[in-house]
Amino acid sequence: MTIPAQPYPLTGRSFKSLEKEYPLNDPLQKAIIDQILQSHCDTPGGLMVILNEIQSRIGFVSQPIQEYVARVLNTPVSAIHGVITFYSFFTTEPRGERILKFCMGTACYVGGTPQLVDKATQLLGVSPGQTTPDGKITVEVCRCVGACSQAPVVVVDEQMYGRIRPSKMPALIRDVLKSCEDASGG
Amino acid sequence: MFFIFINGKPYQVREDITLLRAAQDLGIPIPSLCDHPDLTPYGGCRLCDVEVKGLRLPAAACMLPVTDGMEVFTDTEALVEARKGILELLLVNYYDRSNGKNAPPNALMKLCRTYGVEVSHWMREEPRYEIDSDPNPFIRVDLNKCILCTRCVRACGEIQGRFVWGLAERGFDNRIIAGSGVPLLEARCESCGVCVEYCPTGALAHKPSFEAEAPDKKVTTTCAYCGVGCNFDLNVKDNRVVKVTSNPNAVVNGVHLCVKGRYGYQYIHHPDRLRNPQVRAYLLDGSPKPPAGESPWVTVSWDTALDITARKLVDIKRESGPDAIGLLSSAKCTNEENYLMNKLARQVIGTHNVDHCARLCHSSTVSGLAMSFGSGAMTNTMDDIVEHSEAIMIIGSNTTEQHPVIGSKIRQAVLRRKVKLIVADPRRIDIAEFAQIYLRQKPGTDVALINGLMHIILKNNWQDQAFIDERCENFEAFRAVVEEYPPDRVAQITGVSEKDIYRTAELMAQSKPMAVFWAMGITQHTTGVLNVLTLANLQMLLGNMGIPGGGVNPLRGQNNVQGACDMGGLPNVFPGYQPVTNEAVLEKFTLAWQTTQADGSTAPLFNHKAGLTSTEMIPSLATGQVRALVILGENPLVTDPDVNHTRKCMEAGDFIVVQEIFPSDTSQYADVLLPGVTFAEKDGTFTNTERRVQLVRQAVLPEGEARPDWEILADLARRILDVERRTPTGAQAGWDYTCAAEIMDEIAAVTPSYGGVSHARLDAGKQLHWPVKDKNHAGTPILHIGTFTRGAGKFHPTEHLEPKELPDAEYPFLMTTGRVLYHWHAGEMSRRSRRLLEVYPAAYIEINPEDAEILGIHNEQQVRLTSRRGETRGKALVTERVSKGLVFGNFHFADDQNSNNLTIAALDPIAKIPEYKVCAVKLESVPS
Repeated sequence: MTIPAQPYPLTGRSFKSLEKEYPLNDPLQKAIIDQILQSHCDTPGGLMVILNEIQSRIGFVSQPIQEYVARVLNTPVSAIHGVITFYSFFTTEPRGERILKFCMGTACYVGGTPQLVDKATQLLGVSPGQTTPDGKITVEVCRCVGACSQAPVVVVDEQMYGRIRPSKMPALIRDVLKSCEDASGG
Repeated sequence: MFFIFINGKPYQVREDITLLRAAQDLGIPIPSLCDHPDLTPYGGCRLCDVEVKGLRLPAAACMLPVTDGMEVFTDTEALVEARKGILELLLVNYYDRSNGKNAPPNALMKLCRTYGVEVSHWMREEPRYEIDSDPNPFIRVDLNKCILCTRCVRACGEIQGRFVWGLAERGFDNRIIAGSGVPLLEARCESCGVCVEYCPTGALAHKPSFEAEAPDKKVTTTCAYCGVGCNFDLNVKDNRVVKVTSNPNAVVNGVHLCVKGRYGYQYIHHPDRLRNPQVRAYLLDGSPKPPAGESPWVTVSWDTALDITARKLVDIKRESGPDAIGLLSSAKCTNEENYLMNKLARQVIGTHNVDHCARLCHSSTVSGLAMSFGSGAMTNTMDDIVEHSEAIMIIGSNTTEQHPVIGSKIRQAVLRRKVKLIVADPRRIDIAEFAQIYLRQKPGTDVALINGLMHIILKNNWQDQAFIDERCENFEAFRAVVEEYPPDRVAQITGVSEKDIYRTAELMAQSKPMAVFWAMGITQHTTGVLNVLTLANLQMLLGNMGIPGGGVNPLRGQNNVQGACDMGGLPNVFPGYQPVTNEAVLEKFTLAWQTTQADGSTAPLFNHKAGLTSTEMIPSLATGQVRALVILGENPLVTDPDVNHTRKCMEAGDFIVVQEIFPSDTSQYADVLLPGVTFAEKDGTFTNTERRVQLVRQAVLPEGEARPDWEILADLARRILDVERRTPTGAQAGWDYTCAAEIMDEIAAVTPSYGGVSHARLDAGKQLHWPVKDKNHAGTPILHIGTFTRGAGKFHPTEHLEPKELPDAEYPFLMTTGRVLYHWHAGEMSRRSRRLLEVYPAAYIEINPEDAEILGIHNEQQVRLTSRRGETRGKALVTERVSKGLVFGNFHFADDQNSNNLTIAALDPIAKIPEYKVCAVKLESVPS
């Protein structure tokens, strides 16, 4: 049998051992999480708010974060994990600086999203759900974004680009990468 | 009551139930997979859909409250078709081609058969998930058979209160997960198996018995681990226990059990079992005794072993008097056997030197409560507390690990009835998660803490003055002492903040009735009796005595430690706590147990003075005051404090008889070894912590030549009487028992509190809590109603006293000891149940992360603890359960892993209980 992470399985992981894992080992990130927990721990139904805030400010809700939140809120980690995996909005791994989302709604799909995804995969070397090794871009597919008249649609972070053809992909990706550099350089 | 119509027929039903429950009560079948009467309705499987007049679409009966005049159809053609469709859809995601051939058909398969659904046609071709995907040694997980009914999720949350199981993902990927999708044990699973018990498809199964064949018979009996007294069925095949199954009719526990009760039965047929009587060779050739343990063992017949034992005991009695012999009775054995031990000591040998392990666990409770109320046992029943209390205080009891089923009942009370829970413990034990207030007092400061709470209660006039005036005495003297415990002083002694002390007192005053639970954390101190008296004061002050939902509730450790005390396994009382110092009592037993000597005179019987306690008997071996010990199923070489000293004492003994099921550390020092049997091989009764007397039924024949312990004791007693040429003449003096029920009848005749107990009544399902005055008395579930046993409840002023040994520069850590979920006491049984050992293979020593960091200790690292008395080794378990400066060790492992190498044999002056809970130690890592 495999040895559990904690020798005596009942005790769960100590705060100290969780605090050694990313991102809780980063004092800044931990401070953000603690602040979120503190401001919402007494809100009824506060779990959703907390997880939302962590997702948007940390960028992901990894397993150590889930365990940490469970410990602080005295909530079963199974319930937290259930919420995280139910809503596609949550991610458990760090995502890239920019998120490239390809709409798979009916109109976009018929309009050629699969070809766009192929092109992006070819250009970036990662398939949907993955992040480029330099941590810049995450490729995802998503449900209908409600802009069917513009099909096929690609969404970069909050910005929407309509009527994209595979031939336009290299330029789009170049722009996205440039915006990353601008953000970090400036 | 409502009138409803089901399938055209009128019925009268309760108003507060669902239609499904109403139909079940009426015996009208409505199929369901996700519903279970013990769990909250879920409405997931839709198999219970019924047609209701006035509703456009079928409705799930499990979620539908009955209404007056409701007209329901449960079996229309459309419904049958819909159910078939649901079953087919469930099977599309179901895969079970490797089904354990011995397993009976599960609920899903049965329904498929009922509705004519062809399973092999609809079932998946390939599994979606790994079969047997979880490494937990007790629970087998096969998600291919899961239909997402969530019964496991609800059972884990609502019954066990652990919330390990959850649902993850959506749609097709939806599945049950443990924790955040990790193996069960990593998700803090307690391996109680309740999820398995409620699973309708076999997706969760009992791993140890997965391949077990169908049993020849099932025998309902009482668990032999802790004092909760759960009932279950032993499944027997070819004279072997192959499985334990829940018995839904079990009054104490229902289908719920803990990991030890459900899975810890492998020890019954373990190869180590003692199967033949053995004696040391020197006893056969008549040579003098070589140093203890050196003479080789020789297997002999029962006649030889018992004759030698009888002759040696008589010799020692003649040479040094009866008080040179001591007897250790056993809280693991039945009431009948404990009664015989007490009778063997007092009648046959003629000494009051009889004691048992209650000395080490609750002797302070028995003494303390006897002083306060006149009787020392749990006052209320668990069901009463779960249903009626407004608050529960747990102090010094790691309830979810030591009394797991009571622990989960307390969790249920918090979840279901929002009972306010107060937990006070130096360790942040698991149940603290459910507490409204958790107090982390320093070890050994309980008197100060409780006095501090009472100080605030009195200051604010929150006490129940009417109760105090009417039913108690000595209040003013008590009040004067409590005056001296203002919050600032208490905070300083206990380390609990003034704010928390105030909050706790306020909560106690507002939430009545409150039940108090305690265990070893209170009793195993040099102030054990004071601690108990203080808790008794608290409950009198609040008026929480003699009422439903209140009371003082010491949780007894061993399965029958309550019974062993009741049966006179104590040096100062006959059965039923009749004092050996009372003339009338002495006269009664002199008559009952009278024997006549060869010359026709009656043998002298009783001493008027109490005998030695176990903590006095063993040291007396070293001084020669006691020369012989008869030990029934106890293992002092592991469980006594400062075992290095115990070892020296045992070496000095002249003659030691051990009656056991396994060779133990203690049996190394024995001269005669008599093979007894486990609870599965004998009849009798255990009395649980609630004073409930319950039947133990023989399920299998004894291993080898082993004999039920009561038979051995009776045989030995007869032989001693023969050697001494004494004839039993008193009404209860004989030793010719043919069955355990006869012994119980004798107990009833001489023990007023067991007067109405008989095997026949128990077999008929009577739940008897002593005192049971006569054959028509229904027992006493709640003690001290109207008046206390001693008349007035007595307040005892109590003062805080420091523990005997506190940390200093040389031994800077404070060590406290206790037990863990996966093991049992000295470990003789649990270490021989392979799967329990898999989860908890060696002694772990709990260390606070800050201390671990300073000393450079990490999880699993070998560490050494040293005290003034010895050393012990173990693996580090770095956890915030213990506070800085505190380490925790258990006593489940023998020799160099035993925490009792370190503990101090400082005794409570009244109860003679050792201070296991506090000693000073040094902590070092051991280079590997």
